[in-house]
Amino acid sequence: MENLMHLFEGFNYLFTLQNIGVTMIGAVLGLLVGAMPGIGSLAGVALLLPLTFKFNPTTAIIMLGSLYYANMYGGAFSAILIGIPGDGPAVMTMMDGYPMATQKNRPGQALLTSNISSFIGGTIGMIILTFMGPSLANAGLRFGPAEMTALLLLAMTSIGWLVGENPTKGLVLTMFGILLASMGMDTLSGTPRYDFGNIYLLGGIPFVPFVIGMVGFSQVIRLMGDRHKETQIAVKKLSIKESMITFHDLKRLLPPAIRSGFLGTFVGVLPGAGATTAAFMGYAVQKSFKSEEPLGTGAIEGIAACEAANNAAAAGAFAPLLALGIPGSGTGAVLLGGLMMWGLNPGPLLFTNSPEFAWSLIASLFLANIITLIIAWGIIPFLIKILSVPTRLMIPAITVVCIVGSYSTSNSMFGIVVMFIAGVLGYVLGNAGYSTAPAILSFVLAPLLESNMRKAFIISQGSLDFFYTKPIALAFMIILVLVILFPLIRLVLTKAGVMKKK
Amino acid sequence: MKKKISFIVTVLLFVAFVPLFAQGAPEAASEGFVPSKDIEWIVTSSPGGGSDIYTRTISDIMTRKNLVNGQTFLINNKTDGGGEVGRLQVSRTKEGKTANHTLLTFNSGDHGPMIKNTANRIENFTPIAVMAVDKQLLYIGEHSKYSSFKEVLDAVNSGTNIVIAGSKGDDISTYELLVKELGVTQNQIAFITNDSTSDAITSVLGGHVDIVMSKPAAADQYVAAKLLTPILALAETRFTGNLASAPTLSEVGNYKNVENPIWRGVVGPKSMSEEAAAYWSKAFQAVSESSEWEAEYITKYKLISEFRNKDAAKTYMENFQKTYLASLGK
Repeated sequence: MENLMHLFEGFNYLFTLQNIGVTMIGAVLGLLVGAMPGIGSLAGVALLLPLTFKFNPTTAIIMLGSLYYANMYGGAFSAILIGIPGDGPAVMTMMDGYPMATQKNRPGQALLTSNISSFIGGTIGMIILTFMGPSLANAGLRFGPAEMTALLLLAMTSIGWLVGENPTKGLVLTMFGILLASMGMDTLSGTPRYDFGNIYLLGGIPFVPFVIGMVGFSQVIRLMGDRHKETQIAVKKLSIKESMITFHDLKRLLPPAIRSGFLGTFVGVLPGAGATTAAFMGYAVQKSFKSEEPLGTGAIEGIAACEAANNAAAAGAFAPLLALGIPGSGTGAVLLGGLMMWGLNPGPLLFTNSPEFAWSLIASLFLANIITLIIAWGIIPFLIKILSVPTRLMIPAITVVCIVGSYSTSNSMFGIVVMFIAGVLGYVLGNAGYSTAPAILSFVLAPLLESNMRKAFIISQGSLDFFYTKPIALAFMIILVLVILFPLIRLVLTKAGVMKKK
Repeated sequence: MKKKISFIVTVLLFVAFVPLFAQGAPEAASEGFVPSKDIEWIVTSSPGGGSDIYTRTISDIMTRKNLVNGQTFLINNKTDGGGEVGRLQVSRTKEGKTANHTLLTFNSGDHGPMIKNTANRIENFTPIAVMAVDKQLLYIGEHSKYSSFKEVLDAVNSGTNIVIAGSKGDDISTYELLVKELGVTQNQIAFITNDSTSDAITSVLGGHVDIVMSKPAAADQYVAAKLLTPILALAETRFTGNLASAPTLSEVGNYKNVENPIWRGVVGPKSMSEEAAAYWSKAFQAVSESSEWEAEYITKYKLISEFRNKDAAKTYMENFQKTYLASLGK
């Protein structure tokens, strides 16, 4: 209850004309920057940080909070409308969002689903943050290298749900993703690996250009084949009404969004896991629940699961950031830098030394969440107009977006080269019946798993003990074994007549 | 009439073009160098990190104090290839106006990996200044089994293995120096490289690792909150303030002190002219002597202000390279 009082005090600081004004500006700019592929939340917050210099500290921090938060909404737009994920977390949104917008001809509903799920996920994350922020951060601390290794091993098994029709092909691409991810400097010893004497490869394959190419540009190549076809989608009217979701849709959306809200918050609190991992896990978990349509064909559940998880993770990441001064991601680090510039030192002393700052920041997240939802809702009719552009005009436009997005991640042509190569590769693989999702997922998870596992082994002197002596790790290992053995268990149970045949 | 017009046009053309030819040899004639276009300042790490803050603080002070003749800094974060691409690009900048308007943030944490992983050397740059130095300490967490470095050493001698968590670059080389001085193996005292010091601190706060290596700034608030306690100063003399309780290595036992200089500097391309290098060296000196630098950087991030001009910086960086190459056995 005490925390609720603090939160209301935070709102008290917040509700001045100026503060609400900057929250709105922050939300609009955050949405815009977030929607541009490749820029993502990291560069977005870094780019817009100087804007806050003209304000007083509290106002500046409120604006930062809303900027950061609105960024999380924007990434899904391009994923749904043109099949190019704006940032890491949006990769999973694309899996169902793009088919829903194009094949199912429900672009407005897809965007709205994404917005509402983001809102639900974010709100759950923030409520948890409000009531148990510091203790949540301490729970996150319990996850050392050993626990993270067990958790990531479990996460790796979720690739099994994404391999598609052909498990062998899925497995091949999983291995391929792991190999690609191991390029560049070794995270522990700093030794170059697979750099082939090329100075660019010393830093490894950059994630964003790789993803834009693999899923976005390969899409462009595919579109070239259909360039003379008329666009199937005739957007009738520019109205919010046309993009409303039905009550039935809402009923389908709620359970996965709420589930992912809790899951995402938890993943966001963990050291180094981040929003992308949260979105992947939210989606994978949804695979094991029932969806009305199969995931990957434009199911509302799919969009809801990953969007809610990613926004909840963004809120969850504030717990270690504020209570311990530990940024969970690159974006968190930039935000931390911004907060410190204002003399606010996130860390163990924050809530005692400057509670009004901390609570008005949390309050501003709530406000930003609501304002962003309204603004994002309002621009949906304009956004879906993109889909009525003829394919032959879309091809050059999307290509430009891919190029700009890949360039802006590190301000260099290297990103563009990676994007083109990954694009051709993605196209060839797609035509040969390989699904690229396992490669992307293993590309994200493998480096995390590698560094945590090696750290765990250094601490344990190479012993495997930690898998069963640490309670948290043990719990994950038991779940892992159950997941792996489940097909076998099901077979036994079906034979014994306990379970029905699927 | 026609003739008259063509005459006027000729005259006008002449008047228009003469000044262009007059500017034919501009900078060669002028003694000394003054910035006359935007200055590109390359940082080889991401926005928001330590190097980025350092660069933006200096460029901000320079602009405010008008040390750059009203020109603008364009800060470019070039992170490809672990920063090596940006460094190579600067080292290869062709002689001329661009070379004189190009700066590169260059720290010991950049210099080390560059020497280790590439053939690029400090000789390919023009050192301009060293602005500040930093040192490290070892800290224990509140749940630690040990309470002093002496106890840690006793545990090692009785066969227990210890793990130190730290960050990349500088921390690894300091750790190597420490292990060498203590005469133990890298198994007896192992090191875990994290992406950042805050990750390393996280693992100690969670009780997963015994000891963390950190610079004073990153650990400051945890020391204030009594979550971390300094147990060893990796320096020639003790630190002051709330870090004064940590002894140096020679106080702990019969060892020499271990101090690994961590510095923050600036270089230009090799092709930068002598005048330009002298100009920039003076400008950085002016920043270093300003009260803004003291307040906004040195005090805030708890570094030690130690200015070296271009000649001193050259010797300093060359010595760093020599020592490091020797330790790599190259």
